[in-house]
Amino acid sequence: MTVLGEFSLWIALPVAIWGMAMGLLGGRSQRGDLVLSAERSIYAVTVLLTLASAGVIAAFLGDRFEYWYVASYSNRELETFYKIAGLWAGQRGSLLFWALLVGFFSCITVFQNRRRNREFMPYVVGVLQGILTFFLVVLLFAKVNPFERLAFTPANGQGLNPQLQNYWMTIHPPTLYLGFTAFTVPFAFAIAALLNGRLDSRWITLTRRWTLLSWAFLSVGIIMGMRWAYEELGWGGYWFWDPVENASLLPWLTATAFLHSVMIQENRGMLKVWNMSLVVLTFLLTIFATFLTRSGLIESVHSFAQELTIAYIFLAFMGSILAGSVVLILYRLPSLQSENRIESFLSRESAFLFNNLILLGAAFAVLWGTVFPLVAEAVTGQKISVGPPFFEKVNFPIGLALLALAGIGPVIAWRRATRRNLTRNFAAPLIFGTAVAVVLAALGARHPLALTTWGLGAFVLFIIVTEFWKGTKARAGIEGEGIPLALYHLVTRNRRRWGGYIIHAGTVIIFMGFAGAAYNVDVRKHMQPGDTVEVKSPFGHTYTLTYEGLSMSVGRGQRNLQWQAIALVSVAKDGKPVGSLTSEKRQYVTSEQLMTEVGIRPTPVEDLYIILSAVDDLDAAVNNDPKAQGVDLQVLVKPLVGWIWYGGLILIVGSLIGLWPSAERRRAADEAPSEEPAAAGAA
Amino acid sequence: MVFSVGALLVAAAVVLFIVQPMVKGLHASLERDEDELTETEARKRVALLALRDVEYDYLAGKLDDEDYRSLKGELTAEALAALEADETARSGVLSGSAAAALEAEIAEARAGLRSGVFCSECGFANDPGSRFCSSCGHALHGIPAA
Repeated sequence: MTVLGEFSLWIALPVAIWGMAMGLLGGRSQRGDLVLSAERSIYAVTVLLTLASAGVIAAFLGDRFEYWYVASYSNRELETFYKIAGLWAGQRGSLLFWALLVGFFSCITVFQNRRRNREFMPYVVGVLQGILTFFLVVLLFAKVNPFERLAFTPANGQGLNPQLQNYWMTIHPPTLYLGFTAFTVPFAFAIAALLNGRLDSRWITLTRRWTLLSWAFLSVGIIMGMRWAYEELGWGGYWFWDPVENASLLPWLTATAFLHSVMIQENRGMLKVWNMSLVVLTFLLTIFATFLTRSGLIESVHSFAQELTIAYIFLAFMGSILAGSVVLILYRLPSLQSENRIESFLSRESAFLFNNLILLGAAFAVLWGTVFPLVAEAVTGQKISVGPPFFEKVNFPIGLALLALAGIGPVIAWRRATRRNLTRNFAAPLIFGTAVAVVLAALGARHPLALTTWGLGAFVLFIIVTEFWKGTKARAGIEGEGIPLALYHLVTRNRRRWGGYIIHAGTVIIFMGFAGAAYNVDVRKHMQPGDTVEVKSPFGHTYTLTYEGLSMSVGRGQRNLQWQAIALVSVAKDGKPVGSLTSEKRQYVTSEQLMTEVGIRPTPVEDLYIILSAVDDLDAAVNNDPKAQGVDLQVLVKPLVGWIWYGGLILIVGSLIGLWPSAERRRAADEAPSEEPAAAGAA
Repeated sequence: MVFSVGALLVAAAVVLFIVQPMVKGLHASLERDEDELTETEARKRVALLALRDVEYDYLAGKLDDEDYRSLKGELTAEALAALEADETARSGVLSGSAAAALEAEIAEARAGLRSGVFCSECGFANDPGSRFCSSCGHALHGIPAA
C-alpha cells in the first residue's frame, strides 16, 4: 500500500502538469477534447493523491519506521487515533494533506460545473492543476517526500510531540487547512475571469459560497487553535501573536475584507479591481501561511522544518502568482471600470470601504510584525522578536473600529446619510450602549478598553436585534404571518444577510470575551498539603482553594506516559464547596521536556484555571516520598473566556445559515444554469 | 511482483482515462452562458438594485419620509437614464420587432418606476395599481409614489 502510495505521487506530477497545460491550451484554442482531458486529469490527480495519503496512513498504522516521516512522528505506543492524524502531524504529511484537500475541492468544482459556466472551466482547471503541480513539485523535489526511507529500520519511532496529543490538535489543523484550501476555488475563478475576459460579477456570484465556506473553516480553525492553546499549552492564555497564529490570521483578515467588498461589487458595481486584488492577496496569504509554518523560516513553537530549499520554491511560486496576477489585472484594467461611485463619506458604501481599509490595515500590521524580525535579521544579523505588546497596541484600536462598523454598516443609509437618518437609527443603540457602559462602570469595571468594548458590543447587539425585529415585524404585517413564521421566512429568503448578522453577533460576543482579559486575576503561591489560597473574582465572590496533596501515577509506557504527578485542589466558592480540580506534571517517554496539564473549572461568566507550576523535589515525589509534597501553584480567574467559545458556536450557526442552499437555488440548479434571484436588500 | 502489477494497472488506467477524449474525439462543452451583461445592462441592474435597497430601508423604517423621497427621486432619475442608455445601446443592434418588444418592456419598467409600485422582495417594477408583484407574488403595500 505504502509503496503504491509513493508511486502514485510520482504519476500525479506529470498528470497535473498535463492537466494544467491542457486546461489553458484548451481554453485558448477552444478545443473541447483538451478541456475534457484536463477535467478528467483533476479526478485522476485526486485519486492518486488519495492513494498517496492512504499510503502514508498505512505506514503509520503499520509502524513502518523505515520511513523517516513515520519514525519522526510516531512510535508503537501511540494511540491509533493519533497515528491516523500523523498524516498532518508534520511538515511532510501536511503538505501532502494540503494537496489532497485542494484536489478534493477541485473535484467538487469540476463536477458542479460539468454543465454550467463552461466558459470559465478550462482556465479554472488550468489554475487548479497549476497549484497542484506546485505542491507535487515541493513534495517530490524539496527534500520533503513523506515516503523518504532511512538507511536502516529503527526499532521504534521517536513518537509524537505530547503537546500535539490533544483532541483539538487532531481537528484544528485539518479545519484550518480546509479553510486555506477552499479559497483556491475563488482564486481559480478570479484568474479564469481575467483570462476569459468575462469580468462582470459572475465569478463572484459563482464563488461566494466557496468564499464563505473557506472563511467559516478559517474562523473555526483559528478558534480551535485558541482553545488548544488555552487547554494544552499551560500558560493560561489563548493567543500569543505567535508567527503561526498570525499566519492563520492574515488570510482570515483579507478574506473577511473580501466577503464584505464583494457585496459592494454585486450591488453597486464598484470595487472591481479591489476585489480581484483581494482574492489574489488572500490566496497568496494562504500559501504564505504554509510557507511560514512549513518552511522553518521563523522560530516558533510550531515550526518543525529546517530545510530551506522548500522556502525558495515557495518564494518563487508566490512571486510568480503575484507577478502573473498583477499583469493580468493591468491587462484587463479597461474592463474593470466601476458602474458607480461613492458619493458621501457618511453612507453604507463608505462604511463597507472603511471596513475593508481597516481589515487591510490590520493585515498589514500583523504581516509586518511577523515578517519584520526576519527582515531585520537578514539585514543586521541580529535576532529580534516582535512580541504581543506591538500587536496589541496596533490591533486593539483596529478591533474597536471594526466593532463599531459592524453596528453602523447595516443601518446607515445607502448613498448618503442625513443627520435625520443618523439620529433615527443610532440614537437608541447609542443610548443603550452608553447605558451598558455606565452601569458596568458603576459596578466597578473601570478599564477603559474593556469598557469601550462592552459598550460598543452592546451598541452592535442592540442594532442587530432591532434589525431582526423590524424585518420580522414588517414581514408579519405584510404577509399576515405569526412572528415565528415571519422570522423563519425572513431569514430563509435572504440567508446571506441574516446569516451575516448572526455571524456579527457571534463576533461581538467573542470580542466581549477578549475584553474580559482586562480583569484576569493571577495568584501564585507555594503550598504544602492543607494550605489554602484565597482568590477574589472580579465578579465579587471569593474562591478558596485548598491544596490536598500530590499523587503519583507511574505508567509503564502505555500511551507513552512515564509518570504523572497530580496535584489535587479542592475549591470552595464563598465558603461553599463546589468540587475539585487537578493539575499535572507529566513525563512522556518520547520527550525530555516536562508537560503541564492544567485544571479548568469553566462557568458561563468566568473560568477558574489552575497550573501546577513546579514541584519542589520531583525526584523524591516520583519515588513517592511523602515529604516531597510542596508545590508552586498558579491560580487564575479568567472572566468571560467562555464567551469566546460560545461566540464561536454562534459564528458557526450564522455561517451554516449563509451556506445552506435555499429552496429556490436548488430548484434553479436543477432546472437551468440561471443566476439565483438577487439577494433582496443584501447589506 | 504484486506491486509492479498494481502500479502498472494504476498508471495505465490514469493514462487511458485522460487520453481517451483526444483519441475518441469526446468534447467538453465550451459554450458561453448567454447571461453576460453588457455595460449598459450592468448599469441598469445596479440602478434598479439601488432603488430596491432604498425601498427596503424605507419599509424597515431606517429612512424617514423625507430622506426616502429625496433618495428615491434621485435614484429613479438615474435608473431612467440607465434604462434609456440601455435602450439606445440595444436598438443599435436589434432589428425592428425585437426593438419594439424591448421598447414595450422599457416603457413598462418606466411606468412602474414613475408610479412607484415596486416589489420590496424582488425589486420587480409592477404596473400602477398592482396589489401583488407580477414577478414573485409578494403583496405590494404602502409604498407611496415619489
